[in-house]
This record gives sequence, C-alpha cells and structure tokens, in this order.
Amino acid sequence: MREKIAVLMGGRSLEREISLASGKRVCEALTELGYRVLALDVTPELVQTLRDERPDACYIALHGKYGEDGTIQELLEFLGIPYTGPGVTASALAWDKSVAKRLFAGAGIPTPPWITLTADAFKEMGAATALDLVPESVGGFPVVVKPSKQGSALGLARVEAPEALPEALLAALSYGEAALVEKWIDGPELAVSVLDGPDGEPMVLPPVEIVAKSGLFDFSAMYTAGETDYYVPARLAAEVSEEVVRLARAVHELLGCRDVSRVDMVVGGDGIPYVLESNTSPGMTDISLLPMAARAADMTFQDVVERIVQAALARRA
Amino acid sequence: MGTARVVFDRWDGRYAHRMAQVRSSAVRDLFAAASRPDMISFAGGMPEVSRVPAEAAATAAYEAVMHEGSCALQYGSSEGRPALRAEIVDLMAEIGVRLSADDIVVTAGAQQGLDLLAKTFLDPGDVVITEGPTYVGALQAFSAYEPDIVCVPMDDGGMRVDELEAELERLGPRGAKFIYTIPNFQNPAGVTLRPDRRRRLLELAREYDIPVIEDDPYGRLRFEGGHVKPLRALDDEVIYLGTFSKIFAPGLRLGWMTAPAPILAKVLLAKQAADLCGSAFAQVTAERYFAGTRWRRVLQGLTRTYAERRNAMLCALEEHFPPEVRWTRPEGGFFVWVELPSFIDAGALLAEAVEHGVTFVPGSAFYPDGRGRNCMRLAFCYAEPEAITEGITRLAEVIEDRLELYRAFIAAGALPAAAEGVA
Repeated sequence: MREKIAVLMGGRSLEREISLASGKRVCEALTELGYRVLALDVTPELVQTLRDERPDACYIALHGKYGEDGTIQELLEFLGIPYTGPGVTASALAWDKSVAKRLFAGAGIPTPPWITLTADAFKEMGAATALDLVPESVGGFPVVVKPSKQGSALGLARVEAPEALPEALLAALSYGEAALVEKWIDGPELAVSVLDGPDGEPMVLPPVEIVAKSGLFDFSAMYTAGETDYYVPARLAAEVSEEVVRLARAVHELLGCRDVSRVDMVVGGDGIPYVLESNTSPGMTDISLLPMAARAADMTFQDVVERIVQAALARRA
Repeated sequence: MGTARVVFDRWDGRYAHRMAQVRSSAVRDLFAAASRPDMISFAGGMPEVSRVPAEAAATAAYEAVMHEGSCALQYGSSEGRPALRAEIVDLMAEIGVRLSADDIVVTAGAQQGLDLLAKTFLDPGDVVITEGPTYVGALQAFSAYEPDIVCVPMDDGGMRVDELEAELERLGPRGAKFIYTIPNFQNPAGVTLRPDRRRRLLELAREYDIPVIEDDPYGRLRFEGGHVKPLRALDDEVIYLGTFSKIFAPGLRLGWMTAPAPILAKVLLAKQAADLCGSAFAQVTAERYFAGTRWRRVLQGLTRTYAERRNAMLCALEEHFPPEVRWTRPEGGFFVWVELPSFIDAGALLAEAVEHGVTFVPGSAFYPDGRGRNCMRLAFCYAEPEAITEGITRLAEVIEDRLELYRAFIAAGALPAAAEGVA
C-alpha cells in the first residue's frame, strides 16, 4: 500500500454538495492508484481525526469559504500536514477577487474594468449616493455584479441598466462584505487549467470554452447538465490561444500558486483575453473543467490526481 | 467523540431516475445537523404530544394487546378496521361530510394517502396543480412519480382562484391530473381558503374535469373565527385526506382517505402493494383511545396551547421584526409564512440564524422550482411562548443586520422606498 491520503471535503460552505462530489471522485482515483484513502468531512472533529489518523498528506477537495480562502491551508501548516494545491497566501489572494484583480492590473494582465464596493461603504459612508458614477468607472452597461469572495458564481448577476444595479448589489452583498461591479465583456468564456509538472514547472492545459445557453454561466448553468456547451480545446485563433496560455501561466505565477489552479477568462471582441479570476481549488467531478481539459491533453483523471498528490507528498518535512 | 469520516454511497449511480427528483434540501440538511443546546427551533411542524394523556394512551395500547390481541397483533383488512372507520364517519359528520364506512380507507398518516394518490394518478410528465408554496411532504410524494408541478399563488384568502383559472385555461380540460390544496391554515402559508373561493375552485375543477385533493390536517385546530366547510362537504367527488396526527398523535401513523368509489378501489390496490394493510395494533389503540377518553377536551386544551403560541409569535413578530418584512396571520394550525425583501436569501440567512441559536425552514423548500428564496416558514406549534419570543428576537437581529444595507440604499435614493417588503 502507498501513502495515506486524507481527502478533505464537504464543510459548511454553500458549495458543500459540489465538494462532496469532487471528494468522492478524488477518493476513487486515489484508491485506484493504490493509496490508503481517508475521506473526511470538515466538522468540529476534523482536527482530532487528523491527529489520530496522521495522514501523509491532505488532498483539499473543498470549494468555497474555508477550503479555498486560506483557512484550511493555514490550519494544515500548523498541524504540519502537507496538502495539495496553493498555499495560504496564494489561496487568500485568489479568493478575494478584488485583491486578485488589483494584482492582475498591476502586473499588466488584462482584466475587465471594475469597482469594488463594501457593505460598510454603503452602511457607514453613503456609497449608494454615488451609484450614478458606476457606468463611467467601468465603461458602461451591461455589467456583472458578484460577491468579491464566493466561488461557483453564487450571487452573480448580469445587469443591463442602472435601475437594476442596487438590487444586484444587495444580492451580491448577501454573500459577503464586498461586491464587484465589473464591465461585461461579450465573448467566449474560457477556463484555463494550470498543472505543475513534476519539476514544478507550470503546464497549461488546453483551454475549455464555455457556452452557457442562458448567456450567463451562473450557478445553475454550471451544475445542470445540458445547460452549457463546452469546447475543448477552445475555438481560438492561434495567436489568441498563445496569449491565453501565456496569461494563465502568468496569473498562476503572479499569485504564487502551486500544484494546480484554474484561470477563468473571457475573450473580448478586440481579441484580447481578459482574466476574470483564479480558482485555487478547481472542481474535480467528472464533468468539471479541469478534468475535461486534462482529457484533451491525454491525461486521465488519475494522472491529474497522482500528479497533484505527489507534489504535496514531496513537501513532507 | 465523533469523527470527521465521510461514508460514501457505493450504490450511487444505480438508483432509479425518479429518486433524483426527490432530493432533500442541502441547506436544510446542513443546518439541521448544526445545533447548540439553547437552539430554538421554528423548523419542525411537530404536535405537542406531551399533552396527550399518557395514562389513557397506555391503557388503550395495553387493552389493544390484552383484550383484542388476536386482531391487534394480526394482519387486518386493507381498507382498515370497521370500528375505526365508523369513528372516522362520526368525525367527518361533525365537519359536515356525510359518509359511510365503505367510503373510507385508513392510511398510514395522510402522507401515505398522498403517495398512493400520486402512484394511482401520475405518469412522468403529468401536470399537478398545487398551491405555491405548498407542503414539502406533498412535493416529495408527488416528485417520485415525476410530474410537472404547477404552483398557483395565494394571498390572505388562500389560493388565488383567478390565477388557477388562468392556469387551467392554459392547460385545457383534463390538462392536469389533480389539484392539490390544503384549504385550512395551509402548510406552510398559514392562510385559509375563503368560502367563496372554495366554491369557485370546485366550479373550475368541474368545468375542467380535474379531481381535487383536499388535505386537511389542521382543520380542527382553529383558534378563532367560524368553521369553514371543507371542500368535500360541498362536492362529493373531492378526495379528502384526514389524519389522527393532530387530534391524537403522529406516532400512531394513522390517517384516512375518502374518495369516489372507483378511485378508492384503485387506491386500495396501490395500498395493498405498499403495505398489505395498515397497523391493526395502531388502529385498535386509536379506537380504544377515542372510546375511552374525553379526547375533545384534550384537543381543546391543545388548541388553546397552540393559540397561545401563535399569539406569542405574532406579538413578537410585531414587536421585533422590521417594517420591510411581511407575514401571515393564521387563525389556526401550526405555521406563519414570512416574506423578506426580495434580495434576502433565506437559505443564506439560515446559516447566520443557526449561529444565533434559532432555526426555520427556508421558503424554497416549499416550491418545486427554487422560488420562495426570500421566504421562510416559522412553526409556532412546538416552542413555549417565552422561547418563541426569544427566538423571534434572535431572528430579528439577523434580519436587521441585512436590512441596514437595504435602508442605506433607500436613504440614498438608490432604491424606491415604495418597494419595501414587496417581493
């Protein structure tokens, strides 16, 4: 038998169900690969269970708050257990879309114009009186309104006109303290997965093109079969494709990601790929974007899991 | 000490397609588990069984075995014991429905009636009309047979029959397999179908030739106002579901169905497949309880208790809930339905409420299609008045916090003040 791997999943996040599906699939792959597998939910008993079981590494199959924001990563560092995926800093940076976008912009990585507004700015400082400035700041409607920290596109809305903006902001702010208003870029959406090679060198997998039938790749489109079409590899001109690969690698490195990350982009009418966000714990179900991209690169689901888990094991003290 | 281990369902992927339809709400499961010792629950619609006279129930159960063991411990008839059905005939006569014992099938709670009717009537893709929101157990029972569930909205007078008419016009004659309604103190909305609307509903059902299922678990739990005749008293073709759960105890799992003879015959076949016959032991026990107890007095006391709790909840809501929130004022039953401003997601709110030590059921559970996100059902039946006041205070704090933001938008003129509370 190979090493003992604890797969962390579930948790009290709005993405619990998806995480359980990812976790289950990862457990199957690890078992097939010959590892001893321990499937663990994130409950108040987690730390005790980890201390009792002493796994060689943790595979983080958590999505959303606690799993993707640096919380679990920080805890595992404290417990001295190596884990898969980006570390504390990269997780925290990527989780906060507003911070990540500032970093993108600072590094010359194209990202759609946006503003960030916090609940406190509305409650304490009267920010709602300045909503008339929004179109000018982001370059007009339509815009996308989304919580700054939330995965799986929960609380996300496309807004066509100023009248609908306040409601959309309230909805987004019901998921967290800050909301982004971002210029809507019309064009193909891409999910570009990055997987570190055994040498630690990032390898960009073929981009996946996402076409939501409703026009908006929201929570229901994401998880309802038949509501979305995928093209792998994405139908892109060669030079755009090259740029997409360059940007994905640049974002992965800029945020300090390791092992795996998924960079979401949209290609504008100008042919420029704009980076929307980076995910540090991409979905790992059979129909998730990263496994889909891996297949196009002739990697099986097992190959992906093996590579990610080996990277974590290599960090054992 | 528990463990964090996850046990997977290794049979996943081998279940029938229909089971995919009957999923329980992830959010509810998640927070049902989370608990603290002083948790106040407005989630479950559980009767206060502590008021059932234990001696009387024990005597009834004892006698069932000691004096009628040869029946109580044996298989019984599928339609139920004649003596219990005679009791049901009397109960129904009291609410204006004249029946004979042959018109009745005893079921395992009214819930089994829902399942058997769905099994009897529904093929995949058939249309079912319900109130929106409606009883979550009905949605579960129906969903297993893969229908399209169409929800008709309600107001304080119950189902909007004008909306029902519009829906029927769209669907055409026999366009739905049945109309399901809970006319008294509806679960979850708490509202009662107005007498004129009852008549109109029945007219429409006749006109479009669609059976009506009347589910009436709470009819006898009226706190004020006059009795309203059940649909079945106005039309012999109405399928009526009754239950002993609220007038005796849900633990016995006893309910009944009355329906036109051909329907009842089909239901009986379905029931035989489901369980051959109901629990004879439960039936004998109930017969003896009803014969040997002043159960009406017990029920009156129970109803007073629920009324006190309803009053406590309505007072607390009035005092503590922000003006942007609307709620119903039930004249009986177990539930108050609360409507929050449209941008508030009651599922997300539940996470916070649980941390504050209070639970409820988010409104989307009561719709087949994800509507009701900004609503919640509060059950007042199971908590003492003091706890109800405390629970509503806690809940109000959580809502207040969300509304502070909303008010900032209104103060800045970014949202019209007139939109308050309208969802």
